[in-house]
Order: sequence, then structure tokens, then C-alpha cells
Amino acid sequence: MSRIERIEPAGQALSPETVATTVSGRPIALLYKANGPGGPGPANGGQANGSQASPDQAHGDEEPGQYPFKRGVHASMYRGRLWTMRQFAGFGTPRQTNERFQFLLEKGQTGLSTAFDLPTLMGLDSDNPRAAGEVGRLGVALDTLDDMLALFDGINLEQVSVSMTINAPAIVVMAFYLAAAQERGFEWGRLRGTIQNDILKEFHAQNEFVFPPEPSVRLVCDVIEFCARHVPQWNPVSISGYHIREAGSTAAQELAFTLADGFHYVERCLARGVAVDDFAPRLSFFFNAHNDLFEEAAKYRAARVVWAEAMRNDYGAKNEASWKLRCHAQTAGCSLQDKQPELNLIRVAYQALAAVLGGCQSLHTNSMDEALSLPSEHAVTLALRTQQVLAYETGVTNTVDPLGGSYFVEALTNELRADAATYFNRIATAGGMVAAIDAGFFRREIADAAFAYQREVDAKRKLIVGVNAFVEPDEKPLEVRTEGDQVEKDQIAALRATRKQADKTEIERCLQEVRRAAATNENLVEIIVEAARARASVEQIMNALADVFGRYQARIA
Amino acid sequence: MDNSTPERIVLAKIGLDGHDRGVKVVARGLRDAGFHVIYAGIWQSPEAVVRAVLDEDADWLGLSLLSGAHRTLVPRVLGLLQSAGLGDVRVLVGGIIPEQDVAELKQFGVAEVFGPGTTIEAIGQFLHARHTRSADRHKAGAPEGDRHRLSRLISAAARGESPDAGRDLPGARARVIAVTGGGGVGKSTLIGQLIEIIREAGRSVAVLACDPRSPITGGALLGDRIRMPSRPDDDDLFIRSLATPSGHSGVAPHLDQMIDLFGRFGYGTVIVETVGAGQGDTAIRQVADVVVVLVQPETGDELQWEKAGQLEIADIVVVHKADLPRAESVESQVRELLNLPGCRPVPVVRVSSSKGIGVPELWAAIQERLGS
Repeated sequence: MSRIERIEPAGQALSPETVATTVSGRPIALLYKANGPGGPGPANGGQANGSQASPDQAHGDEEPGQYPFKRGVHASMYRGRLWTMRQFAGFGTPRQTNERFQFLLEKGQTGLSTAFDLPTLMGLDSDNPRAAGEVGRLGVALDTLDDMLALFDGINLEQVSVSMTINAPAIVVMAFYLAAAQERGFEWGRLRGTIQNDILKEFHAQNEFVFPPEPSVRLVCDVIEFCARHVPQWNPVSISGYHIREAGSTAAQELAFTLADGFHYVERCLARGVAVDDFAPRLSFFFNAHNDLFEEAAKYRAARVVWAEAMRNDYGAKNEASWKLRCHAQTAGCSLQDKQPELNLIRVAYQALAAVLGGCQSLHTNSMDEALSLPSEHAVTLALRTQQVLAYETGVTNTVDPLGGSYFVEALTNELRADAATYFNRIATAGGMVAAIDAGFFRREIADAAFAYQREVDAKRKLIVGVNAFVEPDEKPLEVRTEGDQVEKDQIAALRATRKQADKTEIERCLQEVRRAAATNENLVEIIVEAARARASVEQIMNALADVFGRYQARIA
Repeated sequence: MDNSTPERIVLAKIGLDGHDRGVKVVARGLRDAGFHVIYAGIWQSPEAVVRAVLDEDADWLGLSLLSGAHRTLVPRVLGLLQSAGLGDVRVLVGGIIPEQDVAELKQFGVAEVFGPGTTIEAIGQFLHARHTRSADRHKAGAPEGDRHRLSRLISAAARGESPDAGRDLPGARARVIAVTGGGGVGKSTLIGQLIEIIREAGRSVAVLACDPRSPITGGALLGDRIRMPSRPDDDDLFIRSLATPSGHSGVAPHLDQMIDLFGRFGYGTVIVETVGAGQGDTAIRQVADVVVVLVQPETGDELQWEKAGQLEIADIVVVHKADLPRAESVESQVRELLNLPGCRPVPVVRVSSSKGIGVPELWAAIQERLGS
């Protein structure tokens, strides 16, 4: 008797319910044929319907690198350029994260991605009482320009592309980065990278907002507009479905809400008179790569088509680059388990495969120990190696969009496009983006989906290996990182040292200028760069903005 | 445990971490398992959490953290519970907690730690297996401190016990404002705004937020306090969530006794939040000095008749979410319905809580009605 049979009686695992739907609860037919599902099976004749092809498909949208880019944004895809292997990193003080960056670059990583700690994400300095216990824990602590200089010390910012995951205070952190680059003699025009700067999904899912929705979106657009003029190789926003999915949404909700967020930014930029082709080519996206291999791959394909059609037909973009949805992907953190954690390596590998079959431009693979603690160096290395095996050993990079033309994947792609259109209508009916946020529409939809999934897991209609099936009775714990409390003390000491040296009158003058400009329509980026140079802290600048904008209460369920 | 009084659990996220998927799933799951779940929301300080436990007279506290700040924040909560005389409230922690920290948290006094992959069923079973504690607690003598005592007496009143409790205390009758209207119309948010005005005027206020419980499981998910201001150091504000029996009036039984208790403990105003429902409307009329009925712009053109029925009991009608399109048309429909011959005059106020419009006007109308 094999070990698996001993743990779980054979035949119990694959009940009919477990295979009839995707992870998102989408019904799946036993067999798909040229015109959609055609085989025998309980789901046949259900929602799955392959006949929803748009006129574009009738013309045969078979060419990658061409409108509507279903098969990929580049004609030669990974043969021409491999995806960027970009592992998210950041913890402790800026010095410590700088060391991790140097380590990752040595291991062959091709771009940097910065995680900030919760106080920074919420616009608080390290010595704010609310920051107690959180400084440097989930990411690197950042208080002043001196921290930004330490973070990228010794790294050539014109050669390495840098991603920064920050939202409510994105305009402040971007200003710090620009000030740091300038101080080190790098030209803004040569900086490459991405700032997440996507506040809408914070209201839907991740809860790291500070100001009300409308001024928050204004700040997003200030960064988009400023970068279009002065930092042309920079992606000023990464419109993110990742966190929506992590909060428990379905694949269709992730797709629809993310694109709706993107459309809202486009409309706000157009409303302030920026020409669509001046900013749209630099809009970038960030999607989740979850467990359901084919639905995930289809989601990326559907996203490209929906975006391209809207940009060309609804927003009048003429530049082909404005039609292309370029995206970063990250494997699903919420799929990681603390039981038999080595299995997470395998989950991550399949998820990474889904993202690559979907045609992503860059990828982060999670570490196997992330359901237990912050990742160890060993786990981070294995995660990066997973991508390298995928890229160099499996052959999936050899041809463009290998799933194209699969009856199943094309049907899924069409279904997801139709689902997105349905959600766009529901958002419009709710009064548009801001009214739908205020009414809790997105949060309710996502929470309903999260609860429905948990019930499926609890009832074992969805199986998770090691958790509700194939459980190991006596597991050995994995070695994980342990955190000390020294970081908080060190960071607060550094902040106080910077404060002591700074010219308080100059800081106050800069903050007054921030308040003045915030009350007008003036673009705030350069004004905040000025404040950064004076060593105003993240919290000081955020408070100055809150004086004008107010704060959004977290009084939402 | 008496089946008619399910255990109460406060769930909260402490610190800055906003990852609330898990806690929201647990909240719904425990509701379905028959608990009365009070969800206090994200970004809670240890002080605010302990205040919620005290005011809600909770048997359990569930803290959710995925940020790694548990070693700092959880001991703070436990210390504050002790010094508030709430050391008997059992504390659960959920989230990403490394194995070696689990033992430490338990040493501090945490009853159990639930990590990723925990089923709702497992949490429910854990709670059910240990329910005897709260039955003992309810039998125990009166706690130290007025607020704690009031909280216990409110619970006893809600259970229909000791109807004469607190009668020995002096104290005036509180003025009662009922705020009623359908689900999603924004009652709690508006009450949050009224609380700010009442407290700015230096007056004390208590809130009884009623939500229906499941007719099948008896469980309830009570999330109204999220939308009200959290002021852990303000002794003149008291917020209690109540699950109302299904099929009843939308009003908790023994409401009059609870209102009486608040008056005796010095609260000048009591706001009762209820879902307006048929016959319940008359029940609320009997205890309230002023009834404020909320309506909101609908997607359809016509005001629904079921809502129109609620207008009969209104002393004041609020057209809420007045910043939305169609607010004006709803207002004129309401005015038309109210201005039938022989009807008493009912003020109609347009309010947008999110934009802060119309709240002072509403407060003025309420005060006029109360004759103060």
C-alpha cells in the first residue's frame, strides 16, 4: 500500500464536485470542441458557451504583437525577450534591504522590487505610536530622503529597473526616488521602473488608503502626468488585480475590477487634458497567478483584448503602444499553506507556468515559507530558481502563446471577456467607480466570493493537499526567519538624526507650499521633490496633504 | 449555555495591517455557527479593541494579524483587558504566527492561535467546547466599575433577566432617538455623524444598534459599530450591538429596560438603530421620543410602497445619500406622500453623511422635535 493510500483512501479525492468547477467556481465541461463545450458531462450546456466570440475574433486575431494582442504584446514574445524575473524584497532598515538587493542582483535577478513596511504604506513615520511593532517588519522602513539614498546605495539607477510597491503615499515615495536619483547624478529621463501607485484597489481590497477616493485619484494622476513629461521610461502606475484576488475575488472579478480601475484613471487623466497617447503607453498592470492553470492563462489573454478594444475604440488612442496591456504577475500568496510547506514550491511552479502561458512581462514567484513568516534566503533563492528552470529547461518559451487555439482556453478567454463586460455594466449602474466604492460594491462582491470559496474548502468540495486532504500526521517544522526588535530602534535613531540636522524653517516652508498647491489643480510632484530635499518626512508630507484632503475613515466592512 | 443567549465574540484587526479576508470569512462562518459576532473592523488600537469588548460584554475576543506585529500588540491587548477587569474574556489570535511565537502568545494568556488552513468548523468547535465559562461569568457577582456594571446589566436586560436591576439608581430618563430604514441606507454612518455633533456639544450618548439574527442558527453578524467613531477614552459614549430575534419587530425585546438603564447611568440621549420592518415600526414608536426614517435614491423611478409605509411612523424623514442622482426626485415623492390632508407636518431633510452635508440641519430638526 502506498503512503498516499494509507493517508487518504483511494478514490475519495476526486469527487465529481471537485472537478466540475474552477478555483473561482466557474463551471467546466468535460470536453470542449470547436464551438465550445461539447462533451458529455454535468456542466455541459451550462454557462460555458463558446459562441460569444467578438467580431475581432471572427477576423482571426491570431497574430501576436498586433491588435487586439490576445496572443501577446510582442510578435516574438519570450524568444525576443524573456520576462523579467523580479522578486519583491524589503525588510528592516534601508541598509539591510540594500544588502538583499545586492544579493539578488548577484544571483542573476534582472530587476529590483521594493516592499515597504506598513507604517510607510500608511504614510506614518517610524516613531509614530501607531507604528509600534510594525517598523521594518513587512518591508523596508522609509522616513526621509536619507533612507532612499541608503536603500539604493551603490546601485546604478540608470541600469537597473526598480519597482516600488506603494500606494497612498506613492507620490511622496516617487518624489523621494526622483530626489535621490538627482542627488546621485542620474537623469530622470533614463530612470526605468514602476511605482504601484494604484489607490483604487486599496479601497476595494487591501485597505491601505489615507485620503478619500477623489483626492487619492488626483494624486495618482499627478504622478502619471508628471512621469509622462519628465520620466518617460517609468511606469507611473501598476494597475493591480493581485490584491483583489488575494482578498478572495474570483478570476473574473480580478479581471473586471482591475480593468475598471484602469479605465477610471484614463478618464481622470483625459479630464485634466492629458492626451491619451501621451500617458497610456506607460500604464502597466499587475495580475495574480493562481492555481487554476487554464483559467489563469485565459485571464491574461482576455485582459489584453478588453483593454486594447477599449483604448482604441472608447478612448480614441491612436498609438499602438497605448493599446497594449503589459503586465507583471505574482504567484498567489493566498494559495500558500503552512502545512507541508515544501508543497508550496510545487504550487508556485504551476502558478508561474500559468503566468508565462498567459504572456506576462515580469514575474515574482513566492517563497515556500511565506505562510509561516518572512522568507528565508534559502526559500527566496529556490523561488527565483523556479523561474529559471521554467525559462531555460521546460521549453515553454520556444513558441508564442502555446495555448492559442485550444478549444478550452479560447472558450474560457471569451467567457472571461463576457464576465468583465457584465461587471462594467454593474459598476456603471451603481453610479460609477467612486459611488460604487462608497456603496461598498466591490468589497461585498469580493467578500461573498471569499466566503463561498472557504465553504467549498471546508466541505472538501475543493481540496488543498496537506490541509483538507493527504494530511501528514506528524510534520516537521520548516526553518523560518526570526525577527528581532532592533530594527525599530535603529530606524527611529536614524530618523531623529536626520531631523536634528534638517532646517526646520525650510521644511515648514516646503510643507506650506504642499498645502497651497494641494488646494489647487497644480501638479504636486515637483513641489514634493522640493520638500524631500529639505528632509521633510513621509508623515509630515502626508499630514500636509491630509490638512487639505481630509482622511478617509476605515468605517467599511 | 442557554440556547436563547448565544455567545458574543468581538473580532478585530489590530495595528496597521488591512488584510481582512480571513477575519471577514471567520465572522460570517461563526455567524452561521450560531454566534453573535461583533466585527470591529481594521486599524484598531489595543485600547479601542478593549473598549469594544467592554461595551459589547463579549465572551470572546478574536484578534487577526498578518503583519508580524503580534508580539508587540497582543500582549498590550491582554494587559489592557486585565486592567479593565476583563481578564476572564478569552482571546483568540488568527493570522500568520510563527510556531515559536504561538507558545509565547499562549504563555501570555491567549486561549488559542489559528493559522492558515484552519476551517471555520474547527474554530466553532473550539468555541462551543469551552462555552461554560461565560455561563459562569453571568452568574458571578457585579463587577467593579460603573461602565462594566452597566454593560453587564444591559446583557441581563437583553436576556430578560432581573427586570428590576438598576432601579435603585437615581437618574433621569434618556431622550430616545430612533433611526430606522432599510438595509444599506446608511443608518450607522449617519448615527456616527450624530454622535460627533452630540459629543461636540458636550452631551453624553449611548447607541443600541439592532440587527436581525438568523432564524435558523440564531447567529448574527453585527458590524454597525465600524461606521461609528471609535473613542476608547470617551466615557460619555457607549455603543452596544444587539441581535434582534427574527420574525419579531426589528426591535430588541426589553428595549425599554435597556433605555432606562442608560438613563440611570447618566446617558442623556439614547439612539436606537433598527431595520424598519412592518409591525416593528409601532414597537419603536412606543419607546422613541423622535423617529427618524431614512430613505435613499433608488435605481427605479418610483419610491417603493413598502418604504412608503415606513413613512407613517416618521417624525423626520431623511433623504440620505443626497449627493447621488435622483435625490431630488425622491425628496419630492416623499413630500407628496407626507402632505396628505390631515397629516401632521413632517420635516424632510436631505443628508449626505459621506460629504458631511445636512447633518447639523437634521440635528436641529431632532432637537426641535424633542423640544430642547
